[in-house]
Amino acid sequence: MALLKVKFDQKKRVKLAQGLWLMNWLSVLAGIVIFSLGLFLKIELRKRSDVMNNSESHFVPNSLIGMGVLSCVFNSLAGKICYDALDPAKYAKWKPWLKPYLAACVLFNIVFFLVVLCCFLMRGSLESTLAHGLKNGMKYYRDTDTPGRCFMKKTIDMLQIEFKCCGNNGFRDWFEIQWISNRYLDFSSKEVKDRIKSNVDGRYLVDGVPFSCCNPNSPRPCIQYQLTNNSAHYSYDHQTEELNLWVRGCRAALLSYYSSLMNSIGAITLLIWLFEVTITIGLRYLYTALEGVSNPEDLECESEGWLLEKSVSETWKAFLESLKKLGKSNQVEAGGADAAQAPEAG
Amino acid sequence: MAPVLPLVLPLQPRIRLAQGLWLLSWLLALAGGLTLLSSGHLQVQLWQLSTFLAPSCPFAALPRVALAAGAVALGTGLVGAGTSRASLDAAQYPPWRKVLGPLLVAATAGGGGLLVLALGLALALPGSLDTGLEEGLGTALVHYKDTEVPGHCHAKRLLDELQLRHQCCGRHGYKDWFGVQWVSSRYLDPNDQDVVDRIQSNVEGLYLIDGVPFSCCNPHSPRPCLQSRLSDPHAHPLFDPRQPNLNLWAQGCHGVLLGHLQGLASTLGSMLAVTFLLQSLVLLGLRYLQTALEGLGGVIDGEGETQGYLFPSGLKDMLKTAWQQGGAAHRPAPEEAPPEEAPPTEGPPEA
Repeated sequence: MALLKVKFDQKKRVKLAQGLWLMNWLSVLAGIVIFSLGLFLKIELRKRSDVMNNSESHFVPNSLIGMGVLSCVFNSLAGKICYDALDPAKYAKWKPWLKPYLAACVLFNIVFFLVVLCCFLMRGSLESTLAHGLKNGMKYYRDTDTPGRCFMKKTIDMLQIEFKCCGNNGFRDWFEIQWISNRYLDFSSKEVKDRIKSNVDGRYLVDGVPFSCCNPNSPRPCIQYQLTNNSAHYSYDHQTEELNLWVRGCRAALLSYYSSLMNSIGAITLLIWLFEVTITIGLRYLYTALEGVSNPEDLECESEGWLLEKSVSETWKAFLESLKKLGKSNQVEAGGADAAQAPEAG
Repeated sequence: MAPVLPLVLPLQPRIRLAQGLWLLSWLLALAGGLTLLSSGHLQVQLWQLSTFLAPSCPFAALPRVALAAGAVALGTGLVGAGTSRASLDAAQYPPWRKVLGPLLVAATAGGGGLLVLALGLALALPGSLDTGLEEGLGTALVHYKDTEVPGHCHAKRLLDELQLRHQCCGRHGYKDWFGVQWVSSRYLDPNDQDVVDRIQSNVEGLYLIDGVPFSCCNPHSPRPCLQSRLSDPHAHPLFDPRQPNLNLWAQGCHGVLLGHLQGLASTLGSMLAVTFLLQSLVLLGLRYLQTALEGLGGVIDGEGETQGYLFPSGLKDMLKTAWQQGGAAHRPAPEEAPPEEAPPTEGPPEA
């Protein structure tokens, strides 16, 4: 009792082979698309690796690149097989390779699906990497004289301008760190001395933010300093003022950017995965249909194609038995011929 | 009545002409497509910068004309490819034969004219950008503070975004901001003595300060941005007002925008020149192919030699014939196209 049996006459077999040939070449293009998506994602992650502490995981883009290459290879091979399938002479050379090839295809599809899942799950790891990276970035904002960190100010400023965000969770994060380098502080001024004495670590903390936090949509020139002091500025109330600075934190901004990127890549890759599964199923039908041709001389005869020769539970039992036998002895016996057919169907 | 610039074309050279023409036509289609993209890009840039370009500046005409010229070039390329392909196959040629004459005339007149116009504009117009930008940027600077005046309320946001994106400050430098009031009067405290002093210190009653908006700040500076009291050497420790280069953007937006738009216009100009060259070659080739095949009476595979030519007779004879025919009939035959449609694409009609 085979699973999902379909009858094939010669015309149907030819059409199946031709359709599969076309689908395989389309799939090669899809593989190129996946490769370029993976490359794009890798470049985007590298661009912002400064604010991610250089510790972000490149697992997803690397696996997308690998999957793209593998998909191209597998599908061009399958295309060649489908092309040769209708010519008995050429098909005979491919015949012994088809069983392991189908098994490899199934494995490839499973791994592909896992990669697609990873695309959607990457968000979590990115969130913690970003939180740490941005915190450090802001800490080193003032170290424009320290080699190795002198670019951090420029990076954070450009980031805040480009992503329209301020600070880690909001602009108040800037109040808690010293972002003005000591080199530009006038230590003879009373105000500076007071501020430095007012906290345990001797840091110069201000209730001000860098210029890159400014929002161009504000109707008034940007207020950067003395943000919590209403009397320092005319007609200003810091509780109700929303347009002066960017309200969103950079962690949320970057996270939403990468999430939407990952979601679109995940959606495209999922569609391509479905396409690949269809191709594998079609290839299985073609293989079993061609196997079913009882008389190789008479090409016009009908044959049957199926997904699994027996029902799912029987195939699974046979697969387990063959594994046990493989464990016990190395010889392939005649009774194991059935079991040999089962592994590639599993 | 000697034909103008005749060329003997036996079968093999005819086939080679058709094949070469096919290749050139696809190149022309490609060039036309690239011109379309180029002019589209320029048009989008101009829309984005429309606030900073005076409305009277004629520069905006360039991308539109180039768009039309590119479209015609693309069409000519496709037609040329189709014709040369058809001319190798006896069965496909007859329908092409009928439309080829008028098409050639239209492409030469329309396409050639548009291309020449676009080239001329590409050479002449960038000069007018200078005054247009000067006026436009000046107006934008003056209206920076008018965030509540309808019609100008976007000037602040657009100018800030321009300075951030193009990394420039003011018109020719940051000191331009010292000459305009860029702080809205709504946010000036009338009781503050400093404000009153400043307003009274100049004839127009403007609140002028030696400070710049935040968008002039340069992120590459090692110190937090200094925006106010830029002319006072004692206001900021360790700051030398003679060298503010790193603190603010050094270039003026006028120079940056001028370079940007002139660069785009020159790219477009070179694309147009290449398209012009290709189109002339394709039209010339098509004309020779057409007249050669007419000489065979439309039978493609004929082994005989024929002559291809540009015009069946000299300019004066053609004018006479056209005049006589114009009196008799309204439709001149394709080979005797009226000479005033002779475009600069073809060489001098007679020696």
